Amino acid sequence: MLKDITIGQYIPRNSIIHRLDARMKIIITTLMIISLFLIEGFTGFGIFFLFLIIMIFMSKLPVKKVLKGLKPILFLIMLTLVIHIFLTKGGEVLWSWKFISIESEGVFTGFFMVSRILLLILFTSTLTLTTSPLQLTDGIEYILTPLKRFGVPASELSMMMTIALRFIPTLLEEADKIMKAQMARGADFESGNIIQRAKNLIPLLVPLFISAFRRADDLALAMESRCYRGGEGRTRLHELRYHYRDFFALGTSLIIGIIVSYF
Amino acid sequence: MEKNRVKIMTEVGLAVSLAAVLNFMPLWKMPQGGSVSLEMLPILLVTLRWDWKTGMLAGAVYGFLQLIINPYIIHPAQLLLDYPVPYLMLGLAGFIILQKKDSLKANSLRLFLSISLGGAGRFLSHLFSGAIFFGQYAPEGQNPWIYSAIYNLSYLIPSLILCYILLLTLLNRFVFDKESR
Repeated sequence: MLKDITIGQYIPRNSIIHRLDARMKIIITTLMIISLFLIEGFTGFGIFFLFLIIMIFMSKLPVKKVLKGLKPILFLIMLTLVIHIFLTKGGEVLWSWKFISIESEGVFTGFFMVSRILLLILFTSTLTLTTSPLQLTDGIEYILTPLKRFGVPASELSMMMTIALRFIPTLLEEADKIMKAQMARGADFESGNIIQRAKNLIPLLVPLFISAFRRADDLALAMESRCYRGGEGRTRLHELRYHYRDFFALGTSLIIGIIVSYF
Repeated sequence: MEKNRVKIMTEVGLAVSLAAVLNFMPLWKMPQGGSVSLEMLPILLVTLRWDWKTGMLAGAVYGFLQLIINPYIIHPAQLLLDYPVPYLMLGLAGFIILQKKDSLKANSLRLFLSISLGGAGRFLSHLFSGAIFFGQYAPEGQNPWIYSAIYNLSYLIPSLILCYILLLTLLNRFVFDKESR
């Protein structure tokens, strides 16, 4: 049951968007998020949407998968829309019945907010769909590097993230195995109230924690024997390197960002 | 920290991994994304096992990991206040130190305080994030703070109680015994 879980949303494809430098993609995403908050009307959203469509098309992602990312926020979107339509007042009265009324300002704000949320989620999900978790980790490390001066252990942080990512599938499989073994001994993980269920997890948690800490010990030993000593002067197998396309992408997004902020 | 640095790093890595695994098996899911799961358990465990700094580090790593795996960004400030910061605040639990030589009673009280402190830290961060969100997207005239507080407490309190119960049983084995195998 636990084996079907996929970690992250990355879909490997051979496209120019996939090949962009992870750092640049994070920077561009941040810029575009900011520009979405500067947009004041639907023209801006329209241009932004067009840009997004071209980007998704270039990234060769299956449209279905991209839209699937919107599913968890459907509730939020509906809620925002309904609340605004009924509660935000101002402008012409479009429809009214006893004490309920819908006014033009409410409809405008409702759709405005919903467009913003939709575009935000779509844009950020194209980032995670086209960039593998490991590349993103590297990207985050580079972006946190300037904070090293203030004591943020950027390279250690990314090393730990890499370790964590590496062991999620392993631990999932292990959890699955332990669950089956304990179920064969009569353990019950599915019935009872929430506290009962949590208590029933102890026969799973104890072996799982023991095995995780044992792996951590072995890994530390292996790293130390290979002379790992932190971020200072460490070299890497896959160096991140900026290409022309990265600057082209940055330039394009900057222009689009500035244009949409004016509308 | 220096002597055990690599060991702490790998333990934090594995603990974060465990947190992600536990997050995959929620005990109860909320409509708006929160869920009652045991994700905080491994992070609180390494916090108590080592110190608050390690706890904060583990929290930050877990937050960034969630950001990569499952991002849900609706506002730039919400990005920070929902991902790295709340889990980092869990590290506050490490300000209260539990000792092996003390009685179980004293330690269970301390554990309670420590989890409350960490939980309060995480709650504050989510509270601000929720208030920013509601302030930004909800109509005027509604009090965003109350909404945010109710929503966040509704899954945090059960999660924290579960963590407390489970940590009490795991205390001897994993917190006091750093060589445990």
